Amino acid sequence: MKTATITHPSRTGVALVSPALAFVAVFVLAPLVFAIYISLTNWPLIGSFHFIGLDNYAALGRDTAFWRAVLYTLIYTAIVTLPILVVGYLMAVLVRANRRGSTLLRTVFFLPYVIGLSTLSFLTVLEAQPDSGGFNVLLKALGLTDGSTAWLVNAPLATGLICVLVIWGVSGLTIVLLVAGMQGIPAELYESSEMDGASWWDKERRITIPMLRRTIAMSLILSVIGSFLAFTQFFILTQGGPGSSTTPIVLAIYQRAFVQLQVGSATAMSIVLIVVVGLISAAQFWLLRERD
Amino acid sequence: MVTTTRPAPARTVDQPAPAVTHRRSNVKIVLYVVAGALSLVVFVVPLLWALMRSLQPNDIITAAPKMSTFFHLTWDNFRGIAQDGHIPRAVLNSLIVSVGTAVLTTLLATAAGYGFGRFRFRGSGAAFGLIIVTLMVPFQAILTPLFLQLNAMRLTDSLLGLVLFYATVNLPFGVFVMRTAFAAVPDALEDAALIDGCGTLRTLTSVLRPLIVPGMATTALYAFLAAWTEFLGALTFLTRQDLYTLPVSLVNLQQGAYGQINYGFLSAGAVIAMIPCVILFVALQRFYVAGLSAGAVKG
Repeated sequence: MKTATITHPSRTGVALVSPALAFVAVFVLAPLVFAIYISLTNWPLIGSFHFIGLDNYAALGRDTAFWRAVLYTLIYTAIVTLPILVVGYLMAVLVRANRRGSTLLRTVFFLPYVIGLSTLSFLTVLEAQPDSGGFNVLLKALGLTDGSTAWLVNAPLATGLICVLVIWGVSGLTIVLLVAGMQGIPAELYESSEMDGASWWDKERRITIPMLRRTIAMSLILSVIGSFLAFTQFFILTQGGPGSSTTPIVLAIYQRAFVQLQVGSATAMSIVLIVVVGLISAAQFWLLRERD
Repeated sequence: MVTTTRPAPARTVDQPAPAVTHRRSNVKIVLYVVAGALSLVVFVVPLLWALMRSLQPNDIITAAPKMSTFFHLTWDNFRGIAQDGHIPRAVLNSLIVSVGTAVLTTLLATAAGYGFGRFRFRGSGAAFGLIIVTLMVPFQAILTPLFLQLNAMRLTDSLLGLVLFYATVNLPFGVFVMRTAFAAVPDALEDAALIDGCGTLRTLTSVLRPLIVPGMATTALYAFLAAWTEFLGALTFLTRQDLYTLPVSLVNLQQGAYGQINYGFLSAGAVIAMIPCVILFVALQRFYVAGLSAGAVKG
């Protein structure tokens, strides 16, 4: 980078970056510090509060609602992560070369991701209804069920449905990342192994996957973080129920804070989440730094 | 369309391959066509199905499909939600918030990108690091302090408050994209303008503008779409019905808070939410994908 000069006085540089810094300070750093403080109090949303040290954290240890949400989030993450990668990889293989129609397919694969999980969840609500919903109509037409399944009031069924929705809805991101990576692999690598008569899978295993190691790791990390922070699809489709059987961690925090009005306890849960997600992101930064 | 950097390596049907690999490449073409068609069905049919649903009245949507009535399509749902008034209001709120977020994010990110990309000052690296590190703080996890803080600043139940919050969430990505855009501007071009006596602002708006417009488009597009589809923050920070954005308003529709539950209205509302995303993405795809590659792949 160049040094400060007459044409680029450092005070102009400072002036240019300070509005952005101010926003980050007010809306990210201040709440972060505030969060640590709140988590050390018995803060109710309304009324007085006092400092209680680490009691909220100690209470989390025997907080079954918290641990159930943690467990549910881990199960959900475990279910969706690999299918997102596999679906994303196969679709990326399909559209990586510039063939007739591949541009259209790339566009189409990414549409659900752009539309977003909130809208997709509302559309899923109607298609999950017994008898009338599209899922039931399809399953009945295939002769698999009688079409009367009430998907959203049964925890395993609702979880399965949400997982299918998410895998379909977010694999577009993995596809785009992997296609970009695949197009950067020199064609000569494939040509020489084609001469040796290597099969499709041989080429993927020996060339594509090793070359895309970091891109694949990135996609996995992004998708794991996304799963840890899942909220919208659960809030819209099941409200965490029946009971609290489909409540992921962010929904548990939301309910603790804004339904049960226990802000101190909710914020202690948040801090745990921040640390976990922070560690995963740090792994991502470390991974990408290695490339340089 | 999606950026592609290399010319088409695959052979098409019209250009026969050498005899040895002929059969193999035919198999490949058939595979490509079959898999392509199948995946097209999987990814497009649900969206077309949703479009059709939005044209069916509630009593058809909620009944087991009958061939005799299933394709009686009308605009009644759209007419109904237009008359009801809640959804049009929410669409307007969403537009205000999304456009506001796009403009504010782009302004902040362009200024900061210029500062980080072309100026040298003490603490520059640390300041840039600070902005990027905030990518690691998920806003979902600082929701309670943010709510209390925005409340104290009288920014809850406020579309302005939502814009300020969304702009901050989108800022790290925007700053990153804009810094990259400015770093690519040739020194000589900018220096010439500055030596000719253009001020910083003048240089930015006249000389540099054409070179950084793609980056600005990427930033604005991301910010708009993020604000348009965001759910948790809007749900938390807005409690007044007349300020609800579209996704939050659809929850009310889903739960029957605007009267009887009407799935016809819900599907029409969801289709309205979907349309700007599809149009913007299809029209501005190259900016979107450029941003993904810059922001995600290169970290």
